[in-house]
Amino acid sequence: MVVRKTIKEILILVGVSVILAVGVNYFSPRGIALVGQWNTASPGGAAEDKPAEIESVAQASEIFDAGAVLFVDARSQKDYENGHIPGAVSLPLDHFDDRIESFLNRYPSEQPIVTYCSGRTCEDSHNLGRFLSEAGYTDVRIFIDGFSGWQAEGNPIE
Amino acid sequence: MCAFLLTAFPAGRQRGIPLSNLRKSILSNSWIELATRWILGLTFIYASFYKIASPDDFAKIVYGYNLFPEIFINLIAIIIPFLEVIAGLALIIGIYPRSAAVIINALLLAFITALAINLIRGHEFDCGCFSAGQSEYPGASWVMLVRDLIFFVLGMQIVLFKGHRRSCFGRLISRHSF
Repeated sequence: MVVRKTIKEILILVGVSVILAVGVNYFSPRGIALVGQWNTASPGGAAEDKPAEIESVAQASEIFDAGAVLFVDARSQKDYENGHIPGAVSLPLDHFDDRIESFLNRYPSEQPIVTYCSGRTCEDSHNLGRFLSEAGYTDVRIFIDGFSGWQAEGNPIE
Repeated sequence: MCAFLLTAFPAGRQRGIPLSNLRKSILSNSWIELATRWILGLTFIYASFYKIASPDDFAKIVYGYNLFPEIFINLIAIIIPFLEVIAGLALIIGIYPRSAAVIINALLLAFITALAINLIRGHEFDCGCFSAGQSEYPGASWVMLVRDLIFFVLGMQIVLFKGHRRSCFGRLISRHSF
């Protein structure tokens, strides 16, 4: 009896929550689609000059195999040291200002660059990509699956 | 804390009478029940605030747990904060308090499971995901896990409570006992 009553009450509370949630989301200016498109970590942001995204690990892997592209790791130094895409250089986003000077000296502005961080949920690769574009690099792309995607597909790491 | 644990693990009863008395007195103390309801209720309302204010950010966090099919992520991110706020309000006002506590404990179980799975996986939560330079807090997941376990035990006190609940608004609008 108690169980049945509790179940009924739970259904009422859950029902009110769901109706309220969908309703508020529908009318809220910050509402999101009920079924999301999970293909990018960058919500909004500047539309112009946005570096292109590499949307699959396979594509990133091809670019990696072709060589000539510099992978730039946006994660912390510690994460970089624990493992990174072979040949990648570390440029943690929070040390961007300190390190961009020497980075500019080492790599010419036409150097093709691919930035990455730990995966689709982190924005650091997007921000780093934007900063590098603003710093003058002309060929910057973002590998959105990041290190976790790279590793999960069994690609080499170092 | 120890006392609350006993309420959650009734096996303690067999070990001796004092434990059983302690458990009984905690489960029938209406002031503890009221305090617990307020603590849990306010915590959940507070916790839902940021999630309701920026559902896109919360959706990304849900996505980051890497546990749910992509088509459900936005729905989860939209509905969970409102479950928290409604259940939290119900606890504070005293409408369906036991059922609200069941909902909150179900949510807590889900959080605990999600955290535990990702801790076991060694999944990178702390990727600087949400702002630059956050990557130096590997202990945060453990803290959250322990915190949720404590909340779960508090929730069990409300669920298992026997007796007259204090300050129940629900009683004013219905003759049935809430």
